[in-house]
Amino acid sequence: MSEFLSIFEYQFFRNALAAAVLTSVLAAMIGTYIVSRKIVFIGGGITHASFGGIGLAFYLGLNPFFGAAVFGVMTALGIEWISKKGKVREDSAIAILWSLGMALGIIFVFMTPGYTPNLMSFLFGSILSVRAPDLIILLVFCLLLIIVFAVFFRPILYTAFDPEFARTKGISVDAYRYLMSVLMAVAIVLSIRTVGIILVLSMFTVPQLTAMLFTRNFARIMPLAALWGISGSVIGLMAAYLLDIPTAAAIIFFLTIQFLIIKLIVIIRDQLRRERFRQ
Amino acid sequence: MNKALVILEGVSTGYFSETVLKDVNLEIFPDDFIGVIGPNGGGKTTMVKVILGLQPLFSGKLRFPGGRPKIGYLPQASQIDKSFPITVHELVSSGLKSKYSWFPHLSFGQRTRVKRMLEDAGLAGISSKPIGELSGGQLQKALLSRALIDKPQLLILDEPNTHVDKQFEQELYGWLRDLNKEMAILLVSHDIGTIFPMVKTIACVNRILHYHPSNQLSEEVLKIYNCPVDIIAHGPVPHRVLKTHDHE
Repeated sequence: MSEFLSIFEYQFFRNALAAAVLTSVLAAMIGTYIVSRKIVFIGGGITHASFGGIGLAFYLGLNPFFGAAVFGVMTALGIEWISKKGKVREDSAIAILWSLGMALGIIFVFMTPGYTPNLMSFLFGSILSVRAPDLIILLVFCLLLIIVFAVFFRPILYTAFDPEFARTKGISVDAYRYLMSVLMAVAIVLSIRTVGIILVLSMFTVPQLTAMLFTRNFARIMPLAALWGISGSVIGLMAAYLLDIPTAAAIIFFLTIQFLIIKLIVIIRDQLRRERFRQ
Repeated sequence: MNKALVILEGVSTGYFSETVLKDVNLEIFPDDFIGVIGPNGGGKTTMVKVILGLQPLFSGKLRFPGGRPKIGYLPQASQIDKSFPITVHELVSSGLKSKYSWFPHLSFGQRTRVKRMLEDAGLAGISSKPIGELSGGQLQKALLSRALIDKPQLLILDEPNTHVDKQFEQELYGWLRDLNKEMAILLVSHDIGTIFPMVKTIACVNRILHYHPSNQLSEEVLKIYNCPVDIIAHGPVPHRVLKTHDHE
């Protein structure tokens, strides 16, 4: 036990733990918006398109996460614009941006002279290498999201639920949609550090689906999803240390196991209720 | 005579290059109860969107002689995502406009009004329920409460009698008769047999609009308006629906 607890003496592990908690909180807020609006596919598009930015940043010698953020935001705004104009099918546009981003990323990384960056850390995350400045950025963004949701909760909810009706009430639907697109892109890019491009979408969907087994109230889903996200990622982090397995994969695995166990309990509970009702 | 709330002057509109409404003229007065009928795809919902300011015009004008009136809107049930995690209370509150755009929260008075509306509509007991758990009638009641909470001058209802039982439908029509004493109503329906006795005037929309200044409308007149009807029977009560046809 003392050997297990000794892991907390290491700065890198404490940083990883803090990153897991902060990522869970920001993913809970943005993920609730994504799942409620049924735009998980858009999240996938932003995530994969951002790889193009990572590749370009490497090629130009810039911070790869800066490149990812620029590509992610541009993709999010582009998808929102396309869906508003309606001249190209939204799902087709997402598929194009999704694969184009990945293709550009690979081309630019290939063209980068000399040292070839470790692509695996972007694809599957590198939570154990998170440093204090990364944590500060995550914390500031979490606080920003909390403020945005606290102040603009009503219009965000209403524009997500029924944009046409919201427009008849004088709400600037486009402004809120674009704001949420930008926040969604930044949240996804910041979370890539923790769990990587391939797995990041799970952080934005699985805890929300778990929370939705308990409540169908948007405002309550967010804190519940944060709790489930934190518990899944902390268990995953510990399991990764104990079993010596990749951290991001362990986090996603435990988030999913958590969901499946609770789903099973809910199914059994509903079955018992039905039987009691029949009697 | 009362000033018109809304005037559509030679309005043509559609989607991409396809014209859905052509040269439509309509005036809506404060005590009107207009039944909008027409075949599926004839442009009824598009006309509603024009009045709501949601549909860009190819040509023509949308005018509000007394300033933009408060409009309550009940969309088609199919437009509502029942799986969205929103409660009845939040749904009804969304019909209110916040006083400040930079801090869009409800005032104490507005919150009291939501509470009273929920009580009046018989929704107080289920106000914290998500809309996914409501019956068709309860959802329509909640949507109607959302449309009415801002005390509109014009109430627009788009096919309000779909996915509800006959009892609720009769209840709804009773409320609408009462509401018409305070506001203009535009009721879109494909079920003309049911709405004829209730409305005061009829607008037949099938790409073009024919306005009929009474609720008495024979099949011959409908033919003149280029809106022929069929008598069909599905369910226990035979009723008439409009037949799809071309104008050109």
